[in-house]
Amino acid sequence: MVGPLEQAILALMIFVIMLGMGASLTPRDFTLALKRPYGLFIGVVSQYGFMPLIGFILATTLPVNDTIKIGILIMACMPGGTTSNIFTYFSKGNLALSVLMTVTSTVFGVILIPIVLVLYAGALDLEIPRENIIATLVLLLVPVAIGMILRKLNANIGAVTEFMGSLLAVFFIVFLIVSWIPRNWEFLLGTTWGTYFGAITLGLFGFLLGYGFSALLRLHPRNARTVALETGIQNGPLAIAIIAFTWSGAEAQSVMAVPVLYSLFIVITSTMVTMWFRRINTANEQPLPNGLL
Amino acid sequence: MSVHDRPWTAFYGPSVRKTIDTLEYNSIGDFISAKADQFGKLPAFTTCLPNGMNGTLSYKQADEMSDALAVYLRDIAGLAAGDRVAIQVPNCLGYPIAAMAVFKAGCVLVNVNPLYTAEEMVKQFKDAEPAAIVIIDMFSDKLEDAMRDYSFKSVIVTRIAEFLPAMPRGIVGLVQKYWDKTIKPINFDHVRLPDAIKQGRAKHDHMHQVIEDYRANLSPDDVACLQYTGGTTGVAKGAILTHGNILMNMAQVMELIENLEEGKEVALTALPLYHIFAFTVNFLGFYSIGARNILIPNPRPLSNLKRAFENYKITWMSGVNTLFNGLNGEVWFQDTPPKHLKFASAGGMALQGAVAQRWEEVTGKPVLEGYGLTESSPVLTFNPFGQTRLNSIGVPVPSTEVKCVDEDGKDVPQGERGEIIARGPQIMKGYWNKPEETEKTIMNGWLLTGDIGVMDADGYFRIVDRKKDMILVSGFNVYPNEVEDVMAAHEGIEEVAVIGVPDNASGEAVKAFVVRRDENLTKDAVRAYCKEHLTNYKVPKLVEFRDELPKSNVGKILRKDLRAEELAKVSNTEGKV
Repeated sequence: MVGPLEQAILALMIFVIMLGMGASLTPRDFTLALKRPYGLFIGVVSQYGFMPLIGFILATTLPVNDTIKIGILIMACMPGGTTSNIFTYFSKGNLALSVLMTVTSTVFGVILIPIVLVLYAGALDLEIPRENIIATLVLLLVPVAIGMILRKLNANIGAVTEFMGSLLAVFFIVFLIVSWIPRNWEFLLGTTWGTYFGAITLGLFGFLLGYGFSALLRLHPRNARTVALETGIQNGPLAIAIIAFTWSGAEAQSVMAVPVLYSLFIVITSTMVTMWFRRINTANEQPLPNGLL
Repeated sequence: MSVHDRPWTAFYGPSVRKTIDTLEYNSIGDFISAKADQFGKLPAFTTCLPNGMNGTLSYKQADEMSDALAVYLRDIAGLAAGDRVAIQVPNCLGYPIAAMAVFKAGCVLVNVNPLYTAEEMVKQFKDAEPAAIVIIDMFSDKLEDAMRDYSFKSVIVTRIAEFLPAMPRGIVGLVQKYWDKTIKPINFDHVRLPDAIKQGRAKHDHMHQVIEDYRANLSPDDVACLQYTGGTTGVAKGAILTHGNILMNMAQVMELIENLEEGKEVALTALPLYHIFAFTVNFLGFYSIGARNILIPNPRPLSNLKRAFENYKITWMSGVNTLFNGLNGEVWFQDTPPKHLKFASAGGMALQGAVAQRWEEVTGKPVLEGYGLTESSPVLTFNPFGQTRLNSIGVPVPSTEVKCVDEDGKDVPQGERGEIIARGPQIMKGYWNKPEETEKTIMNGWLLTGDIGVMDADGYFRIVDRKKDMILVSGFNVYPNEVEDVMAAHEGIEEVAVIGVPDNASGEAVKAFVVRRDENLTKDAVRAYCKEHLTNYKVPKLVEFRDELPKSNVGKILRKDLRAEELAKVSNTEGKV
């Protein structure tokens, strides 16, 4: 599906993008997010409480075969992906919180993913590839740290890095969509509506529940938007890697259908949600009267 | 105890002189050069953009560049001493360079609000008759329109990212041109600021001597600025501020402030430098103590200030009520208030007590309110540090007398209302080309402020009302006549009266009462029409259609009756709550 060269290019792109995201942050952003850990807590609950439940309901109610059901469940149990950070950045959310949420859900994932899967899927024996988890964390934290250091050393280098990173991020999003469709054309045609429905609505329900839950607990709208994106956007590549480790042949292809479809549609739905969030953000800006400012 | 004993001096700190007798410098140019020699390599000015991109000039660099630009103005553009130079530039590095060059060239500075419409620009140009202009590229289209009715010997164009390092400068330029589309092609003869500096630099071998000659004959009594301040008759009035006025006022303010350290302060300048408060206090006052000035081109939305607060250790800032109120309400500001801040200064409009209190809760540091007019360079009174009183404009600065008088010009007893009048070395010479206006405003050396105030028992002052019809919108003077003249020119409008009404956000808001000639005229259409002809803050926020307007026996529209109606409405609604 994705060749090693492409994978390397994608990893490099993510590295540069996260460098830019990091350059928009200061250590204070992280200490502030840590000072109010309920945001993080809400994130973990949404991630491993709500998402698997949504996955379970979708898997049991949709007219799909067993391998697809497993695909939905696995996808639902994944931690947050790096793309959630990018979309949080563009939707003017709390990027530091988003990064911390991705890190916590990824680290906790090692323990929580098997537990949740056992809960919903009975004895499903899965291999969690540690290397992928570590790679995800490294690809997230190392460039963010470097970006923050760059900004500290020189605000101009930081700002230029951020600018380049965000340009690349836009390119990255477009690239994901544009390169995915022709490559998987036949697969798109041969997939049933139930699979589509599961793959698309999983993310949408995630946004909705993440936002609703945080709004209910009175998180600041900026943080609520962050939790929403973080909950809805799962680590698709990790799901694909897990499946590749566990299954093989036609069975693997079938289990992978939902994660693969999800990975495409989440980029599209996130883009739409982000544009909407940006509008809300602008609308909520304090009006300043005309005058001496 | 009488006003002449200046009882308020009891609140001055131990090291504050009650009177400042002599000026150290003959002109602002002398002052600028001397301070540049003193502070040399320290950073003087920094432009900080919303994304954190920035550029800095040291005292030495700014001095050298403004020298070269002064040479350009005098020996290449061919200006003479005393010629006016307009500067229409928002806060960015081009501003201080241009302003310093004008003073060094022995010319007179005319600040122009960058947001003015072409019509308003022409009015001001025709009055001040500037020979040259330094303008930001974003508004070159308005200048092009204005130049159909007025021409300059020389037009110098600068830009927001001027003097930033190449990479951020390029990025900002591309974004402005292709994304924001705020830069249009320039279709008239002009020179770019860096080119003008280059040409000036190449002109003479011994630039320094030449420069000193430009201003050799200047005395403190010579004109430094024509500072425009709206107009009662639709024409803006230029307050003539001398070198002595401005240097003195700067010294008076800095004298009163005691807890600043030379060479160590970082000032945040979000107020526009073309406004007299930021000009005298932020720009010159903090230059005098070797501070670093962080210039914010556009503080809207307020998140534009976030990076400046994150990246610099701001120790002082100035603002208007609107700015402090806005920052109080920003979550990022509440989360990370500036920890190095010593205090903030407020002016331009009344600082609401609740806003000042909230500010102190958020930042842990006080905001000190001051008071003054363009006509007084501008500061007349300030709250001394550590002796701040809410809803008070503080005490007069050194060498300044302030008192309240009745309609006949007689002193009112202490504690009673009267018009505030002031005397001191910072009071303007008069209005440019308007001797009758000057006579009405300055009497026997006293400036009539038009504000009604009270002096408390110990010498603190409070403002309670305003005598003039003027409307104060978030720190800007709006004169009803000017707005009415514009509106009356609309063919669908029969009659119009404009007043100020209380407004939570901006202190006062402009309200227009309109008698329609065309029944189909809508409020939105009226406002849209005003927007075409007036700067934003002058556009009526509220429009009300009436069948007739209250008039006196001789047919004069009675604004005061309308005002009384509006105030009654406000107190009625307050009663209900």
